[in-house]
Amino acid sequence: MSRLVTRRELINLLGATGGTAAVLQAGSVLGLLPATASAAALDLLALGSTNKKVAILGGGISGLTVAYELNKRGYDCTVLEASHRCGGRIFTVRHGDLIDEIGNRQYCEFDDEPHLYFNAGAARIPTSHRSLLAYCKELGVELEVFIGENNNAFLQDDALASGKPLRMNDYKTNMRGFLSEMLAKSMSEQQMDEPFTETEAENLLSVIRSFGDLSEGDLYQGSSRNGYASGGYLIHGVQKDMLAFRDLLQSSMGRIALSAYEGEYGPCLLQPVGGMDKIIAGFLRKIEGQVKYRAMVAGIQVRDDGVEIAYDQGGARHKLQADYCFNCIPTHLAVGLDHNFPSDYIKAMKYVRRGEAYKAAFQAKERFWEKEGIYGGITRMNNSSREIWYPPHGIHKDKGVVLAAYDFGGGSYFTKMIQQERVETHLQDGEKIHSNYRDRVEKPITIAWHRMNHMLGCAARWRQSFSGWTHEEEQMYNILQAPAGGRHYVIGDQMSMNSAWMESAILSAHWAMQDLDVRVRSEIAK
Amino acid sequence: MIGKTEIIVLFSVLSFCSVKVYAAENSPELREPYNDRYCTTCHGTDGRGNYGIKAPRLAGMESWYLKRQLENFRAGIRGTHSSDREGIAMQPMAVQLSDSSITDIISWVGSWDYVATEITIEGNESLGQQLYIQCASCHGANGEGNEALGAPALRGQNDWYLATQLRNFIEGWRGSHPQDSFGQQMTLMAQSLQNDDGIKNVVSYINTLSRN
Repeated sequence: MSRLVTRRELINLLGATGGTAAVLQAGSVLGLLPATASAAALDLLALGSTNKKVAILGGGISGLTVAYELNKRGYDCTVLEASHRCGGRIFTVRHGDLIDEIGNRQYCEFDDEPHLYFNAGAARIPTSHRSLLAYCKELGVELEVFIGENNNAFLQDDALASGKPLRMNDYKTNMRGFLSEMLAKSMSEQQMDEPFTETEAENLLSVIRSFGDLSEGDLYQGSSRNGYASGGYLIHGVQKDMLAFRDLLQSSMGRIALSAYEGEYGPCLLQPVGGMDKIIAGFLRKIEGQVKYRAMVAGIQVRDDGVEIAYDQGGARHKLQADYCFNCIPTHLAVGLDHNFPSDYIKAMKYVRRGEAYKAAFQAKERFWEKEGIYGGITRMNNSSREIWYPPHGIHKDKGVVLAAYDFGGGSYFTKMIQQERVETHLQDGEKIHSNYRDRVEKPITIAWHRMNHMLGCAARWRQSFSGWTHEEEQMYNILQAPAGGRHYVIGDQMSMNSAWMESAILSAHWAMQDLDVRVRSEIAK
Repeated sequence: MIGKTEIIVLFSVLSFCSVKVYAAENSPELREPYNDRYCTTCHGTDGRGNYGIKAPRLAGMESWYLKRQLENFRAGIRGTHSSDREGIAMQPMAVQLSDSSITDIISWVGSWDYVATEITIEGNESLGQQLYIQCASCHGANGEGNEALGAPALRGQNDWYLATQLRNFIEGWRGSHPQDSFGQQMTLMAQSLQNDDGIKNVVSYINTLSRN
């Protein structure tokens, strides 16, 4: 059993190991926020009278982006989609929709109302995702605010406050208060050894003091930031009691509470009005008639003068000849097709691992969270369901759809269970937050992405180590990004260093199209 | 003579019928008819096996062996041990197959041509040959299998799959279910391979056994 350390010892420890950064876990799963560039303006040659055929394998957003953009320039595009719907992991579930999990087919029974939908895959758009937002504007997709961080949502851990759910702001305000108190103390004691000017030291101290709402003497004595216990409008506010620091330390959830809304998960986030698949519908409106559904690719043969695609549709095997091919089929499925890719290309395709992700949702018979002062946002729990999301739209309507569970990275825990067991787990987990949760929700749906037909995974994983890419991984990435035989491009969020985002999928398509453009221009010039 | 009442009744009956037909045509089950032939999504084009999912070649597999494995998966006799990652992924795929679906799938699989598989494992073939001697007693001197003994052909199967199954048998992650009598025999037989090198060597020897 480890012995207890005093605060002084802990601060000295921090000093010895290089500051507070040492306390934070290395390898934050959020990673670095990619640079926000303005939306890339694609500079592609319009073909004029030249004829070029393009085969697009998979109706995911990267494939649709290619179809849309190349269509505009006069390319003859055909999209082959294996399932009955385009969009892939951009999937909005509504009344009557099929959830094609192999071995656990479900039909959604939500009421037939525009606001009662569930974004089962892509669910939020960071405003730094400029290329995606540019398409939303161009395609007339109406957007509204999505709420991730909500200080009134809950944090729950059986190890914390005897398992009682705490409001996020109660946890955060108190935790920041104590952290700041420690920092402030460490500042004044170590000032002599630190290379700060007096002004810098004063500024830093004032940041620390306001960060934690410290009182006189650099003590944390509670705050009104997490709301008053009573009063505050017409009569004096009564401050809430502080939460004891050591109580807060019983849970590791602080790491999530203080970091979950940074980077791409932080404000401002957006969503399309009426469901994420409005984006897909926007693309499809522009490429009417160019998508073949229930057309499952069986083979890809890259030749000097073109690409031959074999696909199964209507019980027969067909051939499609094209000059170029853009392939957003997940590599773990593509690698099993009848192809003639070079061996180093295949090696890279095999290297990319398929991720596991799982979501579940309920229709709520009444918007019980709004009665508890929660409008949109996410409750986080230290249990297998992990998260409850409250819809930011449809405020004060009769019903709403809540996300009941979200496991990104470890979804196989739930897929080992049959449907009833999954649902029962989510009900038990939700009951720890909202009493009568069980009575107030109905019509469950579960989405196990690594079991979804034609996808079998979410999202692609390149690097094995949290601390960064190896040289070999970077080489494989470059090999896979370059077109096989100068004609076959792998695209999609799998062909990026930031998978699981629509923006990455779109940018991969742009890269491939720019590369194609160079080749086509030089061909035409001959 | 047809009176008002009869017409009303007739009209109601016709309306009811057309409502029923409309409802049926729009039922989700008809919009997306269910089809048990989804195997190639994971097992590769024409069932040639897919390393990306670790789903083995089915093309050329004996129908009696395929049947037994599908039934074992369906009943949870295979694919339920917590360490059998790939088995656990396969098991729910079989859970809702009816007997007639299994028959249909077997005939569908039978329509696929065997195509030689890629070799990915390189070990010591002569050491492997020594190790293979005792496998031959059930699986045949040329890895051709033996239906009477319930032993499938090994030649021509994906080597990465053979290696995984051998490891699973050695560890008891496959074959330890009380109703899996053939599997239990395999867990005993596989012990002789002892370690990863043994697996690699015997599999690389099996790679040399030709199907032709």
